[in-house]
Amino acid sequence: MQTAQHMLRTGRRGALHEYAMALRDLKASGERLGLAWSLAWADVVARYRGSILGPFWITLSMGLMVAGIGLLYAQLFKIPLGDYIPYVALGIVLFGTITNTINEGCATFTGAAGMLSQTSLPMFTFVWRTVLRNLINLGHHVVIIVGVLVWYGYWREFNLPLAAAGLILTLLNLSWVSMLAGIASARFRDVPQLVVSVTQFAMFMTPVFWKTDSFPDRHAFLTFNPFHHLLHAVRGPLLGEAVDALTWVVLVAMALVGWTTTFIIFALTRRRIVHYL
Amino acid sequence: MTTPEVSITVTDLTMRFPVYGVDAKSLKKHLARVTVGGSLAKSTAGATEVTAISNLNLKLRAGDRLGLIGHNGSGKTTLLRALSGAYEPDQGQIEVNGRIAALLDLSLGIDPSATGIDNIRLRGRIAGLSAREIDARMDEIAEFTGLGPFLAMPMKTYSAGMQARLAFAVATSVEADVLLMDEWIAVGDAQFQKLAHKRLLDLVERAGILVLASHEVDLLRLYCNKVMRMDSGVASPVVDIRKLDELMAA
Repeated sequence: MQTAQHMLRTGRRGALHEYAMALRDLKASGERLGLAWSLAWADVVARYRGSILGPFWITLSMGLMVAGIGLLYAQLFKIPLGDYIPYVALGIVLFGTITNTINEGCATFTGAAGMLSQTSLPMFTFVWRTVLRNLINLGHHVVIIVGVLVWYGYWREFNLPLAAAGLILTLLNLSWVSMLAGIASARFRDVPQLVVSVTQFAMFMTPVFWKTDSFPDRHAFLTFNPFHHLLHAVRGPLLGEAVDALTWVVLVAMALVGWTTTFIIFALTRRRIVHYL
Repeated sequence: MTTPEVSITVTDLTMRFPVYGVDAKSLKKHLARVTVGGSLAKSTAGATEVTAISNLNLKLRAGDRLGLIGHNGSGKTTLLRALSGAYEPDQGQIEVNGRIAALLDLSLGIDPSATGIDNIRLRGRIAGLSAREIDARMDEIAEFTGLGPFLAMPMKTYSAGMQARLAFAVATSVEADVLLMDEWIAVGDAQFQKLAHKRLLDLVERAGILVLASHEVDLLRLYCNKVMRMDSGVASPVVDIRKLDELMAA
């Protein structure tokens, strides 16, 4: 079902035409961003329907986890609570958003098989749906973030504009990863399992719980870990830490290369995605 | 709202379905094949293709109500999905002037645990209405469903007929020029069928084109003025509904 007055669908007319059609899909999804938002919102509502706390269950469980891990590890690592709790709170919340977006990205198209096979909704709409849904979830955690930053006095030194820039870059990267995962998962059903194992592995390899102090600057474990850069670009500025220029370079480069690759793959597979489902 | 140029033009349409077997969907098999490479890869790599529609030509103008007949698997639904814009043609082209409303699957966008009202909202959004347009039409849609207090109940408590009422009400509340339907029109009790019939005729008169795939001859006679038969992806010429019997015998 589409509202457009005119629809033209043709067979393959060369590579250029495929890119033009892919671009048109992107544009159409932009014009109907409200639909992606409605779908994302309905997803969140559906997940917590009938529960009293509703979406604040996410906040509650996240809050408990932050408190528990914060108290335990601060003792284990012998770090002052005021240093460690904000660090780990932001780490868990932001890293959770990063990995959930990627993991749920796998179901971007397979989860919308019904709609894709009988409407001409733009494919990108479902990518934005995944990203927006996770952004809504992140919104529920803002309570924790704000609480911790205010309680431990970080609001005096944090760099909000820089953190916002970091968040935008992170989302830009998450969108292409999520779309690529969605296309790959539709074609190959092993991909979701693979993605989950990678993100799980990444949780331990990325400084979410542990601090990087014991590493020299630009240690290979950090430099070559894209998750570190995604996380650090948002958490660093919020904790008033300096963010290495390398992180920005990596994120911008990743966004450019990633989006170009993903867009090419999308243009090549766009006709076929609905048949994969 | 009648736009004079409402039309459907299908030229040399060919639709092929790649069938990706369970095997082909395993990444390991795919990778294993790549490493083996060469001629073996060629023999196993390509997914089996099924030609669902071949070289179909079709021209419909405002006022045309086309009935599609044909055996199961003859390509009727594929044609409807192609007309809705969900499937891309492999060859040829489809041009549709006018807003399309496809009523192919009742359960589209339905969340069984959400209330009737919420489902009307979501389905309306999917069908291309803005939140404000839905609010403006909510009363009218709610009244047409005839579900009254049940609209505040979760959809999972509905019977199939009640679900059909809701889906039909939302889908037909869109100002559509081209209406695509697949069979299910007969769902609902006698009273609702009468209401649905009236609304459908209104819509077709106001809008323009109806394409209805059905096995029921009476239904086709009732709604359609033209008919086309599909036979394993090959379409017959479009003929007047009065020649339905000849076409079925052919």
